[in-house]
Amino acid sequence: MSITGIIVSSGIAFGKALHLNHCENHLDYRPIPLSRIPLQQSKFLKALQALKQQLSLSQTKLDPESENYQLIEADLLLLDDDELIEQVKEAIRTLQLSASVAVERIFAHQANELESLDDPYLANRAQDVRCLGQRIVTAINGRLEQGLADLNEATILLAQDLTPAEFALLPKEHISGIVLKTGGLTSHTAILARAAGIPAMLSCQFDAEFIPNDTPLVLDALNGELYVNPEPEQQARLTVTLHHEQARRQALQTYRNVPAQTQDGHHVGLLANVGNLNEITHVKDEGADGIGLFRTEFMLMHTSTLPDEKAQYNLYCEALHALGGKTFTIRTLDIGADKELPCLCQEIEDNPALGQRGVRYTLAHPELFKTQLRAILRAANHGPIRLMFPMVNQVEELDEIFKLIAECQDALEDEEKGYGELSYGIVVETPAAVLNLASMLPRLDFVSIGTNDLTQYAMAADRTNPQLTKDYPSLSPAILHLINMTITQAKAAGATVSLCGELASSPQMAPLLVGMGLDELSVNLSSLLEVKAAICQGELAKFSVLAQTAMQQNRLSDLQQCITNYK
Amino acid sequence: MYEKSVTITAKHGIHTRPAALLVKEAKTFDCDVLVECNGKQASAKSLFKLQTLGLYHGVTVRVFAEGEQAQAAVEKVSSLLITLS
Repeated sequence: MSITGIIVSSGIAFGKALHLNHCENHLDYRPIPLSRIPLQQSKFLKALQALKQQLSLSQTKLDPESENYQLIEADLLLLDDDELIEQVKEAIRTLQLSASVAVERIFAHQANELESLDDPYLANRAQDVRCLGQRIVTAINGRLEQGLADLNEATILLAQDLTPAEFALLPKEHISGIVLKTGGLTSHTAILARAAGIPAMLSCQFDAEFIPNDTPLVLDALNGELYVNPEPEQQARLTVTLHHEQARRQALQTYRNVPAQTQDGHHVGLLANVGNLNEITHVKDEGADGIGLFRTEFMLMHTSTLPDEKAQYNLYCEALHALGGKTFTIRTLDIGADKELPCLCQEIEDNPALGQRGVRYTLAHPELFKTQLRAILRAANHGPIRLMFPMVNQVEELDEIFKLIAECQDALEDEEKGYGELSYGIVVETPAAVLNLASMLPRLDFVSIGTNDLTQYAMAADRTNPQLTKDYPSLSPAILHLINMTITQAKAAGATVSLCGELASSPQMAPLLVGMGLDELSVNLSSLLEVKAAICQGELAKFSVLAQTAMQQNRLSDLQQCITNYK
Repeated sequence: MYEKSVTITAKHGIHTRPAALLVKEAKTFDCDVLVECNGKQASAKSLFKLQTLGLYHGVTVRVFAEGEQAQAAVEKVSSLLITLS
């Protein structure tokens, strides 16, 4: 049996199940007799003392500069908060609630209030507040996580949620994995689990009744699955994956915190391609210089309604926060071709790849486009955003796009809503865009070459047609010419030029692409360290020679040979 | 009563950690220091209440206090609101 979830810290973990049950506290909602009020109040105060001691103790093991330490510091302040203490005591007295119920009520109220704030970061803290409340309830009931102290074998922790403070208390040498039912994606626990290298999965709807403590588990946080009582063959397969993964990662770790720079000192911007907030939160930890492509249409793929301006704005703000000032490149909705969305009624087309897609679709649906543009403009008030448009062929399309942007800016000004300046670019993905680039470059700060579609359109070969694999080579002399033309023109115009197609995610291609003069490569997160290693291990001088040689090849096979023979 | 209005400049607003620092500083004063923002009021000594104010980037906050150390307390809290990030 396996259960799916959202990966927040990737890896494979083997271990026995252990439930951290603080969320399943039994609460007695009946009113307490008046005579019991002082007792309940003192139970509450004692629980605060016990929890404070426990947190202070765990704090002594931490570096005062660490994030962990400061989060516990915040929890300690809350446990010492006069207003909070008064509110709970008041609820016990006037509503005749038991200490546990009073705490639950006051913390739920507080969490709701935080959630209603118009700020995704603060709203996310609601989760942390709920968890602190649950810990107090646990302390009132005298059940401070027993069982954790005497762990002595690999354990996969299962819980409703886990606060950063609780995470700090875990005997991490024995915790091989963490599986939670809830948890916001920017929740600190996710960040801490990643930093500690403990595989972790959230939003996993396991049923505690079917997974008693000590049940053998395997957490596959590469594919987002939790195996309960894994079959021998599953276990064998996952063991092999684990070993491969360990060896591979170990070798690549040295590249995590170094810039993507060649031996002879040439720096390449190494960015990530992402499709959801979960990946965005990984970008910084994986050692990327930011995001080179955020495919915004993916946020629509699993929903039946379009996210409104506020929801999109919150998402972009959350991304900006997670990136902390690093490059953030958003591609506007790229709907059409093979990406159909359940929430939109799209016309059926004979040739969808040659049909209404990218800006052709969004320009034809200005209300949809404006919602996104407004959300992005407003988010840009909180951090730098680069915005790029898919499927632009012609300067007239840019005219139309910039007209819409100006309209959005005017409207936002009228509504007195703040917005920020954006950097603008296009995805170069049609031969027409390459040929028309000179007329468009004066209005662009950057261009990003989308090699997947550029290849499909240059070769006139449907990339989804399995019979055309041979006719759709990932690298061909024609594509090299188109890439080279784009780079030369962009450089002459002073625009940054990056490449975000799958080609960039292949470590073998990195020397060639860097040698051709690309400023940035935008790659899949899972390939990032490998591509970085390929860049760091080589020299620009050699990359340039390789690029010169490669561009002289007229045959696919010679070109392929040229890449394979390098090194 | 002494009071002062400031605008939050921290990019992500005053969230958990800066708020915690602010509370610790406010607690060093004898008098209570009140913070008013978005039509809500809270004591600067209570992280619990302060969190719910919505101290985002760009909002204007009124800080006020009464009593002996009122001026010093208000100055301290408002300068933290501007500088913390």
